[in-house]
Amino acid sequence: MAAVRTAPRQYPGQGSTGERALFGAWRAGDARAREVLVRRFMPLARALARRYDHASEPFDDLLQVAHVGLLKALDRFDPELGFPFQSFAIPTILGEVRRYFRDAGWSVHVSRSSQERALKLRTAQQQLASRWGRAPTVNELAQYLELDTEVIVEALQVVQAYEAASLDAPQPGAAEDPLQYADAMGRVDDRYELIELDATLVSVLGQIPARERSILRMRFVEDLTQTEIADRVGVSQMQVSRLLRQTLARLRALAEGPAET
Amino acid sequence: MPEPPNIFMRLSNGAENIALVRQALSGVADQLELGAGVINDIRTAATEACNNVAVHAYSGGTGPLEVEIGCRARALEVVVRDHGTGIRPRIRGQSESALGIGLAIIQALARRVEFNDPPGGGTEVRMEFTARPRKGLDTGKVLRSAPREPPADGLSSTAVFAIAPSRLAQSVLPRVLTVLAAHAHFTTDRISDLVMIADALAAEAQGAGGNDELRVTARVASRRIELEVGPLPGGVARALVSAARGEDPANPIGRLTDEQRIDGAPNAREATLVLALAERA
Repeated sequence: MAAVRTAPRQYPGQGSTGERALFGAWRAGDARAREVLVRRFMPLARALARRYDHASEPFDDLLQVAHVGLLKALDRFDPELGFPFQSFAIPTILGEVRRYFRDAGWSVHVSRSSQERALKLRTAQQQLASRWGRAPTVNELAQYLELDTEVIVEALQVVQAYEAASLDAPQPGAAEDPLQYADAMGRVDDRYELIELDATLVSVLGQIPARERSILRMRFVEDLTQTEIADRVGVSQMQVSRLLRQTLARLRALAEGPAET
Repeated sequence: MPEPPNIFMRLSNGAENIALVRQALSGVADQLELGAGVINDIRTAATEACNNVAVHAYSGGTGPLEVEIGCRARALEVVVRDHGTGIRPRIRGQSESALGIGLAIIQALARRVEFNDPPGGGTEVRMEFTARPRKGLDTGKVLRSAPREPPADGLSSTAVFAIAPSRLAQSVLPRVLTVLAAHAHFTTDRISDLVMIADALAAEAQGAGGNDELRVTARVASRRIELEVGPLPGGVARALVSAARGEDPANPIGRLTDEQRIDGAPNAREATLVLALAERA
């Protein structure tokens, strides 16, 4: 078992030919030597920026941060220690990138951009669904939005999360308050819905608001797809998904309640 | 002897499966409320270790990629394992290659890295990251054992997950199943159904008490996913049978799946629930 501390590490066979000479020339005042070094290691900075997890950040911004890290590494590197520059540059560049991601303003910025992406996803889902008469796949959304499939997967988590209520604003073209519409439908069909179910469950379902009950019925009794429900009710499929998840979690909590007390 | 993990995954080493590892880590971060910067580091390092298995471990061929995640009080431990030809010979003489950068990235981001020889051959990279969960897990609620080996056939489309405690499954299972649904070309409608099934399975595992762990084997084909849940204690299996029959409105499994069956006698101490979902659009 070999434990390795994360100190700069030398890789045997690393081509450092000319590297020391360039550092020597630069330290002696040759500005062109520094330029050659910057050019030589820009691909390394790019590789690190590309490989750092950037699902939440545009690549260009990350690349810029990596370049700043490269310049810092060049300034701080001591060729006399005998290590190749790369073994010093990689942790230094990554250090710069990590600082950027830990910046206090960053998390605010990210939650804003992930909300924006979630809204884009919701719109794209609706556009493609109405164009094709069926919901799109992740690949289709990725192509349509020119985003990586994993970014779509991530955005799907955001829009389907329980607490994404800020995404529930009424949409253009929908009824003024779409959920009031759902409410009305729920009231009309209440009796029908309850007949379908075991009597002991009626009391539990009675504690669920009518609009959620009607969506539940459309999905589980009428077997409509979420896109079809969204169409009927005038909300997005993503919102139907979220309401169903919320309602089921609530039903579970209600069903478990008596057993625990 | 290392502490057992909270999550065990056995995947094929296909590059597309690395997204499952990243999503599992994001699910862990959601549940533990880890900072975004911390989980970015961990995802980056884990990606590099998995990439190495995808590209190098089986000399261009396929084989298992095993990943374990352990949630400790002040650290997250991630283990990436293959049963291929071993990593060390590949390091030598390849320092300028992508692999060299990958290892340097891991070493720059992890607090501690170990390279081990797992029994049966291959390489194990054990990485430890500083992570202070704002919402920790119950200590000791870890996996008792790794899931049994699935049949070798169809490994490329089979993914095995074992998660404990089930609270962790609530945030991890919807994410990994979403990735698999994307691989299976499911529409967003069907993905949402699958997410509701994941919610229900995690809730059942928790509600039944017992060992508080969830084991799911997913077999993915085009437009079809089969989930093998268990082995489950008899009580949980029976609860899921009733759920599968649609008797419980809080548990929509039966209405959302195309097929449900129980492997094992209904009164057995352990049983396995098999669910199949097809894309309908």
